[in-house]
Amino acid sequence: MKHTLRNVFHSPRFLVGFIIFMSILLTVLIYPWFVHRDPLQGLGKGFLEPGTYVSVYDTNNAGTYRVELPEANENRLESTIPVKDRQTMLDFLKAKGVDVSALDTSNEKFHELIEVWKENYDEADAKKNKYEGFSTQAKRNELRRLNNRLSEDTSAAMSVTKGEGDAATTTAVAGSDYVKVDEVANSINLPLGTDNFGRDTLTELVKATGISLLVGLIAGSIATALGLLVGLLAGYVGGILDDILMFIANIFTVIPGFVLLILIYSALGAESRGIVTCAVIIGITSWVWTARSVRSQVISLRNRDHVNLSKLSGHSLFRIVTTDILPYIASYVVMAFILQVSSGILAEAQLSMLGLGPNPNELPTLGLMMNWAKLFGAYTSSNAWWAYFPVILMIALISFSLNLMNTGLDQVFNPTLRD
Amino acid sequence: MTKGMKKYFKKKIFWFIITFIAAVILNFILPRLMPGDPVNSIVGKNISPGATQEQVQEQMAYYQHQFGLDKNIFGQFWDFVKNAFNGTFGVSYSQYPRLVSDIIGSSIWWTVALQLPAIIVGWLLGNLLGALAAYKRSFYDKALMPLTLFFSAIPAFGAAVILLVIFAVTLGWAPVNGAFDPGMIPSFSWKFISSVIAHYQLPFWSIVLISIGGQAVGMRSMSIYELNADYVKYARFLGIKDKKIVRYVFRNAMLPQVTGLAMSIGSMVGGALVAETIFSYPGLGMSMYAAINSSDYPVISACTLIITVMVLIASFLLDIIYAFIDPRVKAAQFD
Amino acid sequence: MAKKMLEVHELTTKYITRQGEDVYSVDHVSLDIEEGKSLGIAGESGCGKSTLALSLMGYYFPPLHYTSGEIIIDGKNISGMDPDVVRKTVLGSEVAYIPQAAMNALNPTRKVGKFIEDVIEAHELPMDKKQIREMAEQRFAKLGLPVEALDKYSVELSGGMRQRVVIAISTILSPKVLIADEPSSALDVTSQKMVIKMMKDMLANGMVKSMIFITHELPLLYNVTDDIMVMYAGQIVERGTAHEMVFDPIHPYSRGLMRSILVPEEGTRDVKLTAIPGTPPNLKHPPAGCRFADRCRYATPACKVQQPPLFDIGGGRTYRCSFSVDQLKEVYAHEDE
Repeated sequence: MKHTLRNVFHSPRFLVGFIIFMSILLTVLIYPWFVHRDPLQGLGKGFLEPGTYVSVYDTNNAGTYRVELPEANENRLESTIPVKDRQTMLDFLKAKGVDVSALDTSNEKFHELIEVWKENYDEADAKKNKYEGFSTQAKRNELRRLNNRLSEDTSAAMSVTKGEGDAATTTAVAGSDYVKVDEVANSINLPLGTDNFGRDTLTELVKATGISLLVGLIAGSIATALGLLVGLLAGYVGGILDDILMFIANIFTVIPGFVLLILIYSALGAESRGIVTCAVIIGITSWVWTARSVRSQVISLRNRDHVNLSKLSGHSLFRIVTTDILPYIASYVVMAFILQVSSGILAEAQLSMLGLGPNPNELPTLGLMMNWAKLFGAYTSSNAWWAYFPVILMIALISFSLNLMNTGLDQVFNPTLRD
Repeated sequence: MTKGMKKYFKKKIFWFIITFIAAVILNFILPRLMPGDPVNSIVGKNISPGATQEQVQEQMAYYQHQFGLDKNIFGQFWDFVKNAFNGTFGVSYSQYPRLVSDIIGSSIWWTVALQLPAIIVGWLLGNLLGALAAYKRSFYDKALMPLTLFFSAIPAFGAAVILLVIFAVTLGWAPVNGAFDPGMIPSFSWKFISSVIAHYQLPFWSIVLISIGGQAVGMRSMSIYELNADYVKYARFLGIKDKKIVRYVFRNAMLPQVTGLAMSIGSMVGGALVAETIFSYPGLGMSMYAAINSSDYPVISACTLIITVMVLIASFLLDIIYAFIDPRVKAAQFD
Repeated sequence: MAKKMLEVHELTTKYITRQGEDVYSVDHVSLDIEEGKSLGIAGESGCGKSTLALSLMGYYFPPLHYTSGEIIIDGKNISGMDPDVVRKTVLGSEVAYIPQAAMNALNPTRKVGKFIEDVIEAHELPMDKKQIREMAEQRFAKLGLPVEALDKYSVELSGGMRQRVVIAISTILSPKVLIADEPSSALDVTSQKMVIKMMKDMLANGMVKSMIFITHELPLLYNVTDDIMVMYAGQIVERGTAHEMVFDPIHPYSRGLMRSILVPEEGTRDVKLTAIPGTPPNLKHPPAGCRFADRCRYATPACKVQQPPLFDIGGGRTYRCSFSVDQLKEVYAHEDE
């Protein structure tokens, strides 16, 4: 046993998979200690890009410091319309057929560019004519927003008025007035932005990963336990019991698992769609593969000498199974368990994508996050990659690490597969 | 057809029929376990305010009769089976009075046209890659294997979304949804067909990509296992060339792959259906999705039944094909 | 003197383990076999006899590697040859190999007849399918195998039948040397008898010109081969005629082997059964002196330090020990009292 464990942890594939999986697990467990936010708490309306958000109101209340940045003017100009956006303007003009040979994205030509733009851009016109490269809704929205920003004047004088009527005080805001970020009362760092409900995607992701892992674990355990039981009985006892169990297994094989999931799940109605229910149902519809695998192993074991010896010695069925058979199939069971957990997580994701997942108002899951992304146009109307891409990556990583661990184990138990 | 094959076919047909019956029964019972009375909700929707108790009762009786809910359970089952064979599945709850068969009639063909070739192509390519990886166990194998493993870990909908975002939204190379340009009427014109083909690309390739990943890994393991078999060593010692031996090996490794396909086709279809919903491709996936969201049980029931039957048939066909490619079946040496 | 079919001079081959270590499983082995004769090679598991069998083919699949020595088959030296040439011209046609557990040696999805076609084609002989079939049928008939077997898959044949079919296929090109690795070990006694009879017949009617029979079952060799050679830890420890080896072994190991089995012959009653204690040495780090010294009851301290040479006492009799024949005989005589 110790020797096997040593081999297992020396297998590079297993090790890599194990490390990835454990990192994810640890993150899920430790993150809530540092971030106490409720993952389902909406922080805004709609999608917010990843970044740090600072309250303008509180900035104006915070103490100011005088800082002179040498490139301040350039930055101002730049930030209104960065090079990327100026290129977009050039591209649009080119697509419309305007001669832009004299223009470029530099600061010197900026005002000229704005003029040419104002002459040629019209929102209705752009929508009607669908210029090349700018035909999608997303692109046209981008142009519209760009146009709006161009209308602002960046060097105008600015002042802030606080209070109303007689108590009103006005303070001028100078270009060299800076605040220290941690002195601003309200700011928030959103590494993954917000989803369509305005929730912090990162916190939501971590929580969802935890829930999905839990679902996978429960579903995997149930499926493995069931599969083990059925496999053992069918394989060892054989006879009629074997026939009956295999008959049931065949039905479960051919009728796709997800169909059963859909049927059972719809039958239960929306109220009882908890995490545990979801996991249990996934578990009881996906045990077949494990059962088959265990059964074929047990069949090849049951005629071995040590089993016959035990039978002759009059050991009880229970004892024979636990001491003579289980240790030999342990490796298969472990591998099967890993696979079941992996497929359990995927099954929950699929269910949620179809709208059959656990109650979306209680807890997020990876599948639910994907579903929201789809429903609220995260990838069609808005380019909110942070709302779905990290989720996909997370699912893939979990699946990948589990599969890697399995491949590693496979190599340890089946030496012919070693490189 | 030899005796061995006959025995094999008899067994497979037997299983097919039994599983079919079980599927129909399950598809009948489960949806009817739904809580809530559909008639109530329909009547509630259609009733005019100020209606008397009598009128409400009348309405309810009317709908109950419409849905055959006034018969006992066996009567309902018989209705169900009869209707299934007729191709009618009753009336939709949410889109009343539209017929279920009307709603999903065309969806089936879109799904079959998409998934059948996609799964086959994915399977073929995947096995080819797996075999290649096993044969040339060089650097490529060590580097490519984990990469392939990673890509096969991306779920079906994940790949669909990524392809959608990259090729449709960002690059604009492919259309974002649907099976053909909205506003087009299905016809056999070239314009329509090319529109269909354009819309077909993304769903097709995402399903293919997913299938490749899964198959490649399995085929590689199978091939490695076969390459280490005794008969390979013996054949070498008899002077048989590697080229011929490789043909032996892959022929033998393919057999369990075919069986494996028959077993996993259920889940492959599941993944493909979710991919369909991502692309708003008007196949069974979308019909089912819409039905689930509006609790339209007849449609759900019909969809699941059709999907089950399709998978059953596909699995059965694969079993039959297997009989022709494994020479041991002919010799009745198959257990 | 009859023509020598196989001559092996100081052949050394090694396995390279995954950790990169060298294991010399065949250490400076020399032997020869005359036309029409058979040689049995006996020894316990791990002594290198199977590796020797593989090494004699002239083609080395990793992790087995050729180190030094010569293999001459019917006058042709195959040790320096290009591996591809060896594969085409030597394997199967000059030297044939019957693997251990030949049960699994046949491709389960290929009919026997078709497989034979593949073998013939691999050697690029100018025969068409009809001719090949005729030859196969003739061979099978001659060897007492049913012709119907050609149309069957290996799974359809019984264990004994499969073994004989494999032997027939291996010898279909009438090789000069047939190397059989434990051909009968996995069979029931009746099948064993049939297999041995078949092989002896093949030798007798010239289908194969010489034969090497490898086994760990010593009693088998007495009625099967002309000469017997005993191997231990990668080296030859003794060789002689079958009769000499069974009734008058010189090397302590051979003697131990003979005495640890009951041979139902005359004089068995008086023989005391003794077992040889211990296990063979690790060939990754072979001992400096005699490899058998640790288990030899007659070993002296000198034995553990000095490598005993292989003595040739004439008539094809050789043995590897520091003691002289007379010294050993005297010690044995004492024991029997």
